[in-house]
Amino acid sequence: MTLLQVENLSVGYKTKKGILHAVNDISFTLEQGRSLGFVGESGCGKTTIGMTLMGLLPENAVITQGAIHFNGSNLLHFKDEQWRNFRGKGISMVFQAAMNALNPVIRVDEQIMEAIEVHSPDIPKTEIYKQVKNLFNMVQISEDRLRDYPHQYSGGMKQRAIIAMALACNPKLIIADEPTTALDVIVQDQILQEIKKIKKALNTSVIFISHDIAVVADVCEDICVMYGGQIVEKGKREEVFKSPRHPYTKTLLASYLSLDSDKNIKVLEIQKPPDLITLTGGCRFADSCKHKSKNCENHTPGWVDLSPTHQAFCFEDILNKDNND
Amino acid sequence: MIEDNTQPAPIIELSGVTKEYRTKATFFSKGYTNVMAMDNISLTLQRGEIFGLVGQSGSGKTTLGRLLLKLESPTKGIMKFNGKPINDLKGKDLKTYRSKVQMIFQDPYQSLNPHLSIAETILEPLIVNKIGDIHSRKEKVIETLDTVSLAPGKEYYDRFPHQLSGGQRQRVAIARAIVLDPEFIVADEPTSMLDATIAIQLFKLLQQIRKKYNMTFLFITHNLAAAQFLCDRIAVIHDGVIVETGPTDRVIQQPEHPYTKKLIQAQPKFNF
Amino acid sequence: MSKNHYLARFQKGWQIFILNPLGKTGIILLIVFMLMAASSFFIPLLDPMYDPMTGIDPLIKESTGPSFHHWLGTDNVGRDLFAQLMEGAKVAFIVGLASAFISIVLGTTIGMISGYAGGITDRILMRFADIIMIMPSLVVLLILASLFGQFNIWIIVFIIAIMRWPAVSRVIRSQALSLKSRPFIEASKVAGASDIRIIFRHIMPNVLPLAFLYMTFRVTSAILVEAALSFLGFGDPSQVSWGMMLQWVWKSGHMFQAPYWLIPPGICISLLTLSFYLLGRAMDEVLDPRLRKEEERK
Repeated sequence: MTLLQVENLSVGYKTKKGILHAVNDISFTLEQGRSLGFVGESGCGKTTIGMTLMGLLPENAVITQGAIHFNGSNLLHFKDEQWRNFRGKGISMVFQAAMNALNPVIRVDEQIMEAIEVHSPDIPKTEIYKQVKNLFNMVQISEDRLRDYPHQYSGGMKQRAIIAMALACNPKLIIADEPTTALDVIVQDQILQEIKKIKKALNTSVIFISHDIAVVADVCEDICVMYGGQIVEKGKREEVFKSPRHPYTKTLLASYLSLDSDKNIKVLEIQKPPDLITLTGGCRFADSCKHKSKNCENHTPGWVDLSPTHQAFCFEDILNKDNND
Repeated sequence: MIEDNTQPAPIIELSGVTKEYRTKATFFSKGYTNVMAMDNISLTLQRGEIFGLVGQSGSGKTTLGRLLLKLESPTKGIMKFNGKPINDLKGKDLKTYRSKVQMIFQDPYQSLNPHLSIAETILEPLIVNKIGDIHSRKEKVIETLDTVSLAPGKEYYDRFPHQLSGGQRQRVAIARAIVLDPEFIVADEPTSMLDATIAIQLFKLLQQIRKKYNMTFLFITHNLAAAQFLCDRIAVIHDGVIVETGPTDRVIQQPEHPYTKKLIQAQPKFNF
Repeated sequence: MSKNHYLARFQKGWQIFILNPLGKTGIILLIVFMLMAASSFFIPLLDPMYDPMTGIDPLIKESTGPSFHHWLGTDNVGRDLFAQLMEGAKVAFIVGLASAFISIVLGTTIGMISGYAGGITDRILMRFADIIMIMPSLVVLLILASLFGQFNIWIIVFIIAIMRWPAVSRVIRSQALSLKSRPFIEASKVAGASDIRIIFRHIMPNVLPLAFLYMTFRVTSAILVEAALSFLGFGDPSQVSWGMMLQWVWKSGHMFQAPYWLIPPGICISLLTLSFYLLGRAMDEVLDPRLRKEEERK
């Protein structure tokens, strides 16, 4: 069942110099129980997508076109009141700065109870507390730490508590925006395994946003690679990461250092990121692309089907050329 | 490592270096507690190598870099540079030492003074150490900008930090560090704030600089893969203690200490 | 080239400033007062009888209301009130700006040293600042004045400055403290820069905008203190000022008989301090880190 369908979404930010087109004509779908990863580097628009889905865009943001269908309703038609009821219940979010997402002067269990109470004020307190305990079991924090204050938790535990809070109202979709970036490798590994387990157990859908391709590859079944406010390649993770076709995806993968990286790898130099205020018609990656031609500068690329599930936003001749070297 | 018949001369020697921080007494608890940031660390760095210090946040890896730059003093232990102790350097000797040892900081958005132009930033080490005159300094700055691939140097000379991208800023910080032709550079997580595609270009740049000037680097990082890419030898530090040291490939392929094994195990991998 | 940089920053700041209604009102008021102060140099040139201190209209022996020759009227000995009001504007500017400037220089220097040096230096300087800060400046001035008789205007300026630097130095100190651990300061230290160089080359440009902001607020308080002091009879008797004018109204018993004499200096004191206060508020907005961040991001 399709849970989320985003169609031709464009989001911009008003600045003094004009509108900054942070997200441009993006479409994707997400099935119930699946996980979708957005990967890209700073300024590619991935965080804006998460904020749009949560209705948490800053004041200077404008949604210029598109539709977001979630479970049968168009989120872009929501009023403030509807958003308040929807957040946490329909979609909930795990932020990067876990340290700041907890109120330092309120005990952790009370904060999670509050999250449940807001949406279902009729449930008796004892029942809610039982739910909180269950949540803590699920994210593997022992019950004797329930009454602690946030500062008594380590970074990893705080992030677990945040995940518990996000799960509190049984959301259908969880958006995780760089949830492990501030954590150590070992803790990060544990949290990622946790997220995968929970997703499986609850059949929750997950949208995972990160700059770290290995982290996204670990958690997500489907991948969207973003560059300059656009999706440039999407498909199943095996397709995107094992046989990348878009030149940017290839650069991103080649730049990623893992323990098996070749010390003598040659990497394309990314030139200045594209100016998202004064957009030119051509391909936004053209300046850094080694296959750049006149065509790339003057014509907007299109979606090229590589398999029923795998697409790249490029020109067919370039994709073929690039595949041969 | 340097292939040589004679034993290569060590540039940095640490023996039994310990650093304790004393936490302040608070309103509720009298007295203080000692927090051990580094416990009895002994290390030797050979001239011309890139030595990686790998550890997670709070492991004490940054403290080691700050000790070597004399931004802080060790509680115990001896630190030697080119065979001479540097523990108690003061005044003129300290200034001479600092002209030979430089640092590249983690955050390129914080490590450049927003009020100084690129030229002024890179000129500062030359001015305070009274090297050259106005013309030779300017030439040196432009040459250094070329070295860090901010070419043509003239174009960047009068710009200000806020006009540059993160990667370019870090190149300026590298230029400032190498303009005095130091013998030893501490690079403290120089790419952790930058995108992967930018980071790898900076790694390549550090390799070129090492080759060109035969500088010695201490590369401090939390990223084992980055250390493997860049370093000849690495040390793994955990809770202020160095748990394992050795040639990079040996440590990663045949880790001996359980913590190193755990670290390698936790590296994100592409296996689905 | 760095001049261009500062110019560009200034222009950006100016734009925010002038778009702000507070800033605009403040600037307009300030310009009016500056014109008044400037006119005080020319009025006595018209006729010696328009000298604010010594000029006496030979035809007038008592306080009179507004007339063709005396727009605001005269005081009880026949001195022109309009000339006095203009002279008062000049004096207010001198007192306000001079004492604010001295207290800012003192406060900024001490604050930077205290924050950067830390340790025992910091403690001594800040305890000293605390001691001065808790003293009520008006009361101290009154006591000093009653001990040593009436002060010359410059001594008053200086005492106000001495009383008012600690608050500035506290703010600058905390700013210096946070700057001190910023990597670019450490980078400069690593390059071998001396403490003096770090303080004046790296820390000062970063705290200067804040110091200027505080200067506008200092001006306000200096003008008020001087006015209060003069009104209470401890001002410089050889110098016309708005406070002094009020003191003369009161002393000569015209408090309720001569509104043309009482009201203008009162309004001027309020409006001039208001204009500096508005400037400060608008400047605050220019220096607002959120706005500044947006500027830097571009």
